[in-house]
Amino acid sequence: MASALEQFVNSVRNLSTHGNLRELYDVVIKSSDVLLKNVQHLDNVLETLDVQQHSLGVLAVLIAKFSVPNASLSDNRFLQTQEFISTCNVEQVRSAPDLFAELCHLFTNYLVETKSPIRGIALLKQAIMRLKYLSENQLTSIHADLCQLCLLSKCFKPALQILDVDIVSICQEIPHANANSSQFDAKYFLLYYYYGGQIYLALKNLDRALYFFEVALSTPAHAVSHIMLEAYKKFILVSLLLHGKVQQIPKYSSKVVLRFIKPLSQPYNDLTNAFVNNNVTEMNNVISKHTEAFTRDRNLGLVKQVSSVLYKKNIQRLTKTFLTLSLTDVASRVGLPGPEDAEKHILDMIDNGQIYATINQKDGMVVFSDEPDKYSGPGVLKALEEELALCMEFDNRILAMDEEIQVNPQYVKKSAGLQEEEQPSKSTYAL
Amino acid sequence: MVVNINILVEDLERQELEAPLGVASPQVYAQLLAIYLYYKDLCNAKFLWKRIPAIVKTANPELEQIWMVGKHLWTSDFPSTYRALEAVQWSDAIAEIMKNVQLVVRTRAVDLISQAYSSITIENVANMTGLPHDLCVQACLEKGWRVDKESKIVYPVKPTPEPLAPPSSEDQLYKLTDFVSFLEN
Amino acid sequence: MPLQFMTMAQNVVEPMQVDAPPEDNDNNEETFYVVENSTLDLEAYANSYTGLAKIYRLIYIVDHCPSLRLEALKIAISYIMTTYNVNLYQVLHQRLADITSSMNVPDVAAPSASQDIPSIDNMWIETRLKKAALKLEKLDNDLKNYKGNSIKESIRRGHDDLGDHYLDCGDLSNALKCYSRSRDYCTSSKHVVNMCLNVIKVSVYLQNWSHVLSYVAKAEGTPDFSESQAKESNPVIFSKLRCAAGLAELATRKYKQAAKHFLQASLDHCDFPELLSPGNVAIYGGLCALATFDRPELQKHVVNNGSFKPFLELEPALRDAILKFYESKYAACLRLLDDMKDALLLDLYLAPHVPALYAQIRSRALVQYFSPYMSADLHRMAQAFGRTVPALEDELMRLILDGQIQARIDSHNKVLYARDADQRGATFERGLVVGKEQVRRARMLVLRAAVLRSRISVQSPPREQGEGTQSQMQPVSSVTRN
Repeated sequence: MASALEQFVNSVRNLSTHGNLRELYDVVIKSSDVLLKNVQHLDNVLETLDVQQHSLGVLAVLIAKFSVPNASLSDNRFLQTQEFISTCNVEQVRSAPDLFAELCHLFTNYLVETKSPIRGIALLKQAIMRLKYLSENQLTSIHADLCQLCLLSKCFKPALQILDVDIVSICQEIPHANANSSQFDAKYFLLYYYYGGQIYLALKNLDRALYFFEVALSTPAHAVSHIMLEAYKKFILVSLLLHGKVQQIPKYSSKVVLRFIKPLSQPYNDLTNAFVNNNVTEMNNVISKHTEAFTRDRNLGLVKQVSSVLYKKNIQRLTKTFLTLSLTDVASRVGLPGPEDAEKHILDMIDNGQIYATINQKDGMVVFSDEPDKYSGPGVLKALEEELALCMEFDNRILAMDEEIQVNPQYVKKSAGLQEEEQPSKSTYAL
Repeated sequence: MVVNINILVEDLERQELEAPLGVASPQVYAQLLAIYLYYKDLCNAKFLWKRIPAIVKTANPELEQIWMVGKHLWTSDFPSTYRALEAVQWSDAIAEIMKNVQLVVRTRAVDLISQAYSSITIENVANMTGLPHDLCVQACLEKGWRVDKESKIVYPVKPTPEPLAPPSSEDQLYKLTDFVSFLEN
Repeated sequence: MPLQFMTMAQNVVEPMQVDAPPEDNDNNEETFYVVENSTLDLEAYANSYTGLAKIYRLIYIVDHCPSLRLEALKIAISYIMTTYNVNLYQVLHQRLADITSSMNVPDVAAPSASQDIPSIDNMWIETRLKKAALKLEKLDNDLKNYKGNSIKESIRRGHDDLGDHYLDCGDLSNALKCYSRSRDYCTSSKHVVNMCLNVIKVSVYLQNWSHVLSYVAKAEGTPDFSESQAKESNPVIFSKLRCAAGLAELATRKYKQAAKHFLQASLDHCDFPELLSPGNVAIYGGLCALATFDRPELQKHVVNNGSFKPFLELEPALRDAILKFYESKYAACLRLLDDMKDALLLDLYLAPHVPALYAQIRSRALVQYFSPYMSADLHRMAQAFGRTVPALEDELMRLILDGQIQARIDSHNKVLYARDADQRGATFERGLVVGKEQVRRARMLVLRAAVLRSRISVQSPPREQGEGTQSQMQPVSSVTRN
């Protein structure tokens, strides 16, 4: 058996020196059995390989080490992975995205099992950045791992740098995928957007959270995944928090999703109905009726936020209709127990810039006013410029994509056949 | 102070992530928590508090005392916040930061009062700023707010927003050209 | 013969269900109400209708107006005895028995009243049933003969006669079947229209409004009966179709459409007591118009509408209300409407819609009242509309939120201030919203292109996938506020 290992080491060294990555990849894939059978010798193998020069070989050995329930010997896997991620040869590793992703998954599971998720955050982030996935706006399944570790360790800030980047392409992680099969495991895609949405939610970036849940929800599907269902529930709640109504599910979502998801989330639909009718009593009824379901889904906290937002929404409605109103009236109109509660809510909303109002404690009145200096001054100009720049950036990106399609031989062939007929518009291809 | 804190915060966050076995020193936790409070970054403060290992918490009761401040901030309970801030003799590592926390909380309270109230009782002002009555009246007068001692009511003055510096015209011209060329193509 | 009897009896069971429609149709939210005192002239009211229209309307009054209950039942029973509707006869008597027994107990003066209370006539029932069965058999045989001779026109008429008979017996579903069957034997467009009218009539009784509308469309779509000529050449049928359509739209809460239909009817050709009375047309049309038309529309289609004017003359109170509204004398208008309300609540078709229509009319009045002002005193406004100030505030709040009134309320000084729309701000706001949406969509588009390119698709059965991922899905309950 030792000879098989020796053979592995030799081919890795040989092929690495000649830079024949393709063949090296094949060798590495084929030797996984050999490695698994000789776990006890793997540390010796590692000693004969150089992390930088023989990155693919080391990668294979590490995967094997993580794949076996821990050997009796002292556990040095964390340190070895750390060394590998920080010093491996980027070019080599990028030629085997599937293997590298696998290592990261195994590493993540290992950290989850050893209950120390926080230790992996910096490393996985480094992995994504070193392999330039970040700079190319490319999504990998490692993204989902990172988010999972962040959620488990309740340490969200480090994930933002990754999450804030808009994904433009997706890493081809499933090798030799034929023309019809997927190149990326949908599970990791869903997980990334679901976890990401949760992280944004925790940090109260609702807009972005909503976007992430929407992506998860509208992923092409022939079956409804649990992740999509959970994403839908959160989508509803965040939608209510942010917009005061449920945003439409994108039309291009799969039919199965549209058909099955709604009946499966009845408590949320009930909640929505009560909310859009601005009915505080009704909503409290719905909440107490479905407390169990909300608790089971671990959404009770969010639901409570929704219910407190309803008061605010109702106060906002008041600002649109009244110039002045007594605090007592405010309380009775929005269903709060007394003027003190109303004052607290209003103060809170002024503090957060949600309304413009002045409280007069002497008379117990509140004066609602319009936003001062609405849309004037250089601040607005600046905001406008930023928005425009963003639009332009996306437009350019879409133009580039369009161009790419225009020069795609397959497209040219197809559209040439259709020439006499209606020219297909670019949107048919884009969405 | 602010510049220093920015660097400090990055450093502390890194230290926490790279801590061996995932547990950082109590001082790192304490400073980070205090700085999050200073920035009113309550979300991150809350999750930091939640992820500090229980052993560290029990060994260092000061951590909980810091978090109590955050908890009161979370519910916008000004009087309790001041009480929590003043009840403790903070350790050297965070004494400076906590002093600043108190300052920014008070500044924010004053801003809020001037923005949200056309009239407010002295009592409430004292609650929101954590100052004793007489000091409070004096501070109000200093800010140019009218104080009616008879009815014990303060009439705050709305702040005039500071105008942002207009961007240089060259810069603006450049951007405009950019937009126009974009829109026309 | 006995067999025939049996099937007959079975068929008759069905009309039982038709008694109920006023309650169980689309007005579920309607709570049961009672009109205490009505000045309705029951005799005259009943005389405006024939057939089931009369019976249904009387039953509705029986259900909702105790003071007219006995009278209405008597009229209904004497009328039903001219038909073959034995079942309804029994039902009505049952109601009568219920009422008289409950009256007799406390009331000593009852005997005098009970003298002219008709008692159930079992002989009549038996002979009627027999006669009905005989007639049915005869008509059936006739139809078979016609079919044997395959003379289209006779077959058509045979079906119609059979339908008439079923209707007379109160068997609506069979009547509908027979009338519909005659369709295959129509040889002229006149026949088609006739068939449609029959189907419409039965569908109205059944309160199947979508059916009504589709057959109105069918009738109007018949060649030789295009709308342009119909008004002159076939004014009766034209009016009838308009009214049937109006009724269907009213019943389905499309008040504006209903108004438009009713307003096209003409009084001289409004003779279909088995459907509606001219007074109904006036009220339905007038109220719907008042509730949904803006001022110019009201002027053009109602106030200055020569052909509708005669209708309004039939209902002077409504006419005055419309004119007061048009003259901006809202308080007077609302008062007039309030006076009419009790009578309207006894109307089978209108009653469920009275609250909605009245609310809309009020809103319209409020909007028009305030339209010329910069500011208005809430006390005076409340007076003009007969409301308390807080109630008025509530009403105004709804209208402002709806965007119907551009104003804000100064609740401290009780003044309503008009608010000039901030066009610039609104434009900015809209622009920014659209921009944000655009960016969001573009972002999604880029991502989706990538997803499609990688052919990502959720494939595995949800259960399996769920189990695979559920364990990894770490709940973040900590998102909760504490």
